Amino acid sequence: MRTSVLERIKLIDDLPTLPSVALEVLGLAYSEDVSIQGVAECIHRDPPLAAKVLRMANSPFYRRGDRKIETLHHAILFLGLAEIINITTTMSVFSALTSRRPREVRVREQFWDHSVATGLIARHIDRKISMRFLGREFVAGLLHDIGKIILDQFFHDEFMAAYTLSVEKNRPMHETEMETCSTNHMEVGFFVARKWNLPDYLADVILWHHQPAQARSRDMAALISMADMLAKASMFSCGEGGVPFVLADQEAWRVLEERGFDMDGLDVERMTFEMESIGEKVRDYIDTVMEPTPGGGSNG
Amino acid sequence: MDDRARVTPSVTMTDEAFVLLRDFIYEQSGIYFSNTRKDQLANRLAMRLRANNLGDFEKYYYLLKYDPRASRELRALFDSVTTNETSFFRSPPQIQAFQASVLPEILERKARVNENTVRLWSAGCSTGEEPYTMGIVVRQVIGCTDSRWDVKIVASDISEKALRSAQAATYNEYSLRTVPPDIKRDFFVGEQGLYRVRDDVRSLVEIMYLNLNDESRVRLMRRFDVIFCRNVLIYLDDQARRRFVGQLYDCLDHGGYLFIGHSESLHNISRAFKLVHFPAALAYKKE
Repeated sequence: MRTSVLERIKLIDDLPTLPSVALEVLGLAYSEDVSIQGVAECIHRDPPLAAKVLRMANSPFYRRGDRKIETLHHAILFLGLAEIINITTTMSVFSALTSRRPREVRVREQFWDHSVATGLIARHIDRKISMRFLGREFVAGLLHDIGKIILDQFFHDEFMAAYTLSVEKNRPMHETEMETCSTNHMEVGFFVARKWNLPDYLADVILWHHQPAQARSRDMAALISMADMLAKASMFSCGEGGVPFVLADQEAWRVLEERGFDMDGLDVERMTFEMESIGEKVRDYIDTVMEPTPGGGSNG
Repeated sequence: MDDRARVTPSVTMTDEAFVLLRDFIYEQSGIYFSNTRKDQLANRLAMRLRANNLGDFEKYYYLLKYDPRASRELRALFDSVTTNETSFFRSPPQIQAFQASVLPEILERKARVNENTVRLWSAGCSTGEEPYTMGIVVRQVIGCTDSRWDVKIVASDISEKALRSAQAATYNEYSLRTVPPDIKRDFFVGEQGLYRVRDDVRSLVEIMYLNLNDESRVRLMRRFDVIFCRNVLIYLDDQARRRFVGQLYDCLDHGGYLFIGHSESLHNISRAFKLVHFPAALAYKKE
């Protein structure tokens, strides 16, 4: 039997890596004696990363009020430590995953559009049903499919075969990936998340966003699972996109209902209509992230 | 642009007359004019005052209520208070959901049990663009020569004037602005700058007068597979909406779908349906 793509990915030496500073910040985030000063100093040791975090903190997406945030210290005071850690995580993963030019630019654009849309929708639902994930849901939405990028980068032909099959037959990508790669983006993403020491909630969402009841972070995985489907229904899709579904019949919905969230009170229609206008926000976010940092590293 | 909006009422509508007429129209049609729409109602009825040689809105109310001509005037009143804004292939993602998912699903289900009748309803069809769009889609899905299927599209409205246009099935270039060129070529016949819907689409459509507020008549509408009732609920108040949507549910067969207007919602109106997400479109399914 052929070795699965996942086994072969495990043997690759030049898999993208996270900047060491990002790993340190993530480590700090979960330590007892985390301080504003400590986090700021840590990010400062990687000037391109510090510049990106500041730029993101000043983007329309995070900015509160008119005042420009000049220093990381201020950014932490204004946005809170949790958001700064979210931003650091996203910017680091983005840099790592966009360091090489993609072979199919259109598919890569669809990928990021879908990821950002999923993050935005997750944030929207988080607020509607008071899940209080404090921005972590946006990071999770943004990164839930990173396995697809690794597959695309290292097994491009197999990945594109899965993509084409998914679009033409309107079948889920994780099924068609299984046929062409003998693995799927969840397994590959999970492997990378563990290798990078990403927080447990992210690794969990990456692995279980299609079967949220299996996850340890069930609420988060269910939220991302729903956001993922809604993003596809809003035409932000990378691969299949035309499969009709009843949201209230989904595993994710059942999980959230069982966990006591007010699903009855969620006006799904209104939420769906509100999402029709997220296209602009998606573009804004991507423009901010992709903008090259002057004097810093390129993000492709 | 609605011609009626340009008519300046020469007579002022008193608050008393507004309340009388508003309640009367609501009772008869379910259409509700809120206080903020008083001027709109006055504008729309000014023409009826002139047509009946009446000096004020109170007299018009008495005509509607007690005059022997009342039932005929009622039809004219409905023509005046309804909005006939529509177009071919309106809200394309909904039409796409109907074409790519809903209709094939229904045909497949019927084929499995050897059933061949398909009943569709355009409720509030206005001047006919919607039912003919449905007819074109039916022809595209099942073809023009396939005689296996017995498809009927009921097209109903409360405005007789609109129904006369629907019956004529003839449209100008402007009305066809949203029709893709290949469909224009395949499903319309050009006649001196006008376009007539081709006979094999027209023959699917049965046009009928129906006041959706008339419960006894609506109760006769049964076993539909798909109902398009778009931009009708917006004219009703919550109570009328609940009652009416409940009736639409009964009009559908199990497995049938209801499409309402883009941005209209049944949240807080009905919990009987399952909300189905299609690409960029929503529909309600009766299971």
